[in-house]
Amino acid sequence: MVRALALTLLAAAGPALADDEDAAALALADKAPTVAEHARDWRVSMQAAARESGQRSGNAADDAEFLALDMHYDRTFARNWRAVFADRLDLSWQRRLSNENTVNTLKDAYLSWQPQPDRIADLGRINTRYGVASGYNPTDYFRAGAIRSIVSIDPASLRENRLGSVMLRGQTLWSDGSLTGLYSPKLADRPNDGAFDPDVGATNHKNRWLIAASQRLSDSFNPQWLFSGEQGRAPQLGLNLTTLLNDATVAYFEWSGGRSPSLVSQALNRADDTAFRNRLASGLTYTTASKLSLTLEYEFNGAGLDRDGWNALRQGSPPAYLQYRTFVQTLQDLPTKQNAFLYVKWQDAFVIHFDLSAFERFDVVDHSHLSWLEARYHWNHVDLAWQWQLNSGDAGSQYGALPQRQIWQALITYFF
Amino acid sequence: MLALAGIAHTAPSAQDILAASDAIRNPGKPFGLTVTLLEYRNGKQSDSDALTVYSKADTNSGQFRSLIRFVAPARDANKLMLKNGNDLWFYDPSSKASIRISPQQRLLGQAANGDVVTVNLAKDYKADLLAEEDTQDGERQLRHCYKLALVATSVDVTYHHIEMWIDTGNSRPVKARFYSESGHHLKTAYYRHYQTELGVERPTETVIIDGLNPNWVTVMRYSNYAWRDVPDTWLQRDYLPRFKPE
Repeated sequence: MVRALALTLLAAAGPALADDEDAAALALADKAPTVAEHARDWRVSMQAAARESGQRSGNAADDAEFLALDMHYDRTFARNWRAVFADRLDLSWQRRLSNENTVNTLKDAYLSWQPQPDRIADLGRINTRYGVASGYNPTDYFRAGAIRSIVSIDPASLRENRLGSVMLRGQTLWSDGSLTGLYSPKLADRPNDGAFDPDVGATNHKNRWLIAASQRLSDSFNPQWLFSGEQGRAPQLGLNLTTLLNDATVAYFEWSGGRSPSLVSQALNRADDTAFRNRLASGLTYTTASKLSLTLEYEFNGAGLDRDGWNALRQGSPPAYLQYRTFVQTLQDLPTKQNAFLYVKWQDAFVIHFDLSAFERFDVVDHSHLSWLEARYHWNHVDLAWQWQLNSGDAGSQYGALPQRQIWQALITYFF
Repeated sequence: MLALAGIAHTAPSAQDILAASDAIRNPGKPFGLTVTLLEYRNGKQSDSDALTVYSKADTNSGQFRSLIRFVAPARDANKLMLKNGNDLWFYDPSSKASIRISPQQRLLGQAANGDVVTVNLAKDYKADLLAEEDTQDGERQLRHCYKLALVATSVDVTYHHIEMWIDTGNSRPVKARFYSESGHHLKTAYYRHYQTELGVERPTETVIIDGLNPNWVTVMRYSNYAWRDVPDTWLQRDYLPRFKPE
């Protein structure tokens, strides 16, 4: 009875309460300042970081400090003409070696001409990227050799901080579809480690080409087909598919297939074992109403090693093992056949402007895993982040072989 | 009898009232504008964002398709979003990644409130006239309004049902309350500060009050209205990296 009375009184008070709340909100809005924000052609950020690591036995600590300047410029300088330039300068100091290192990464430097709304041509160094998966992108054909300096192992950072390839690219668009063709010629024989070298040899040491076509078939179905090739290799076919399963879930499928030798035969110059090989990454991203996003991905590399091959390499000659790992890392490929990837991001965790991110990479073949956690708080112009990485696994496994067992990193980024 | 038939014939239907109010908020041709969002929590400003939006109504569905470029804050500057029904794509020029996002994921960002701006409610909701009543508008003036109850006819919409107050004299939207399927009050919006933009008196500010926490208030301001040519060929994922508003 008392409860019913209370509910009745509450219901009666409801509209009045709402009116008061609305009046308070409108009064607040009356006092809101006038903010004039203008689009800018440039974006510049500066980052400072300090890293501490816990080493496996026998490895010396490689604690270090970092400073980075990142800039992006995109300007329409004449009717139908646009210039794009993106560059990152990384400075690092390794305490143990008293070693200072400078690496400049020229990400983009190209001109774009759009003579008609649906026809575009680009010429220059372009960081072109394909793929809908989160942790492994088999159709990202221009990723090989593109990373000069690993800033963070966060997949988003690996995609961002890399060299573009010099190319001529053309695109035509129609309603709900487009066709892109590009040609990236050989311009140098080998990479150049010079600090400020444009390092064209890292990305343009072979003639390469790519054709991409997409057609939106419905709200939920928008496939993209790719056909890519490089000098001395059979062409590869690629497919990117995404679909919306429900209001909160996106499913994706990324596949690349074609005749190619295995990674181990390429890395160690073994007998040609060319065969049709598939690479794929497929997963789901689910987002909750409480701002939590979860991505679970399965990754398959048909050119990587299976359990027997991987065990044989791990137990064999150390130089051959090292050569294989270095080769695969340069290609940004997976050393073993099967992996899994879990990514979790919680935006505004506990308090607003505080984000928690974590990912787990699991090698299904050798059961080693990499765990990564980031806590990030952001103000209007400043981000403060703390990152932790744990590499676990047996000796010689994908993640157990890394010299650091744990890495802690604190970063501060200022956005100008 | 004839007189009654005459009134019945000339009185607008609830759906017509809603469509007329849509036309006040949404220009009839492709257009662009700048949206500034100021977010307040417990009386203090917690966020400030700005977006440039190019919008065009789809000839089939009547619903708006939009290309959105983030202007501020600096960390998000030049990021892009495509909204084409529930086909939603996010593009970051740094990572060159076009990521498909779900409607729920879109709600994480500030642009989520953009759907209060360019949405043709009459296309996705069935309207019923509940009453004619006086209600206070965003300027604290009493307005004589149609009170409409809108129920979603499409499963793709963010809000299951809406209560909307529309000025009987000029079809201006005055106030709306948005609800989830379970009946939770999600937000209240006041459309105010009417000014002539692209030939029609349109609201240049929407004050959004969170339904669960009324101390969470977002002030959305619209400026730089202009007619813009938005070819159909631009409203797709593959054009996102190319989009650069004037």
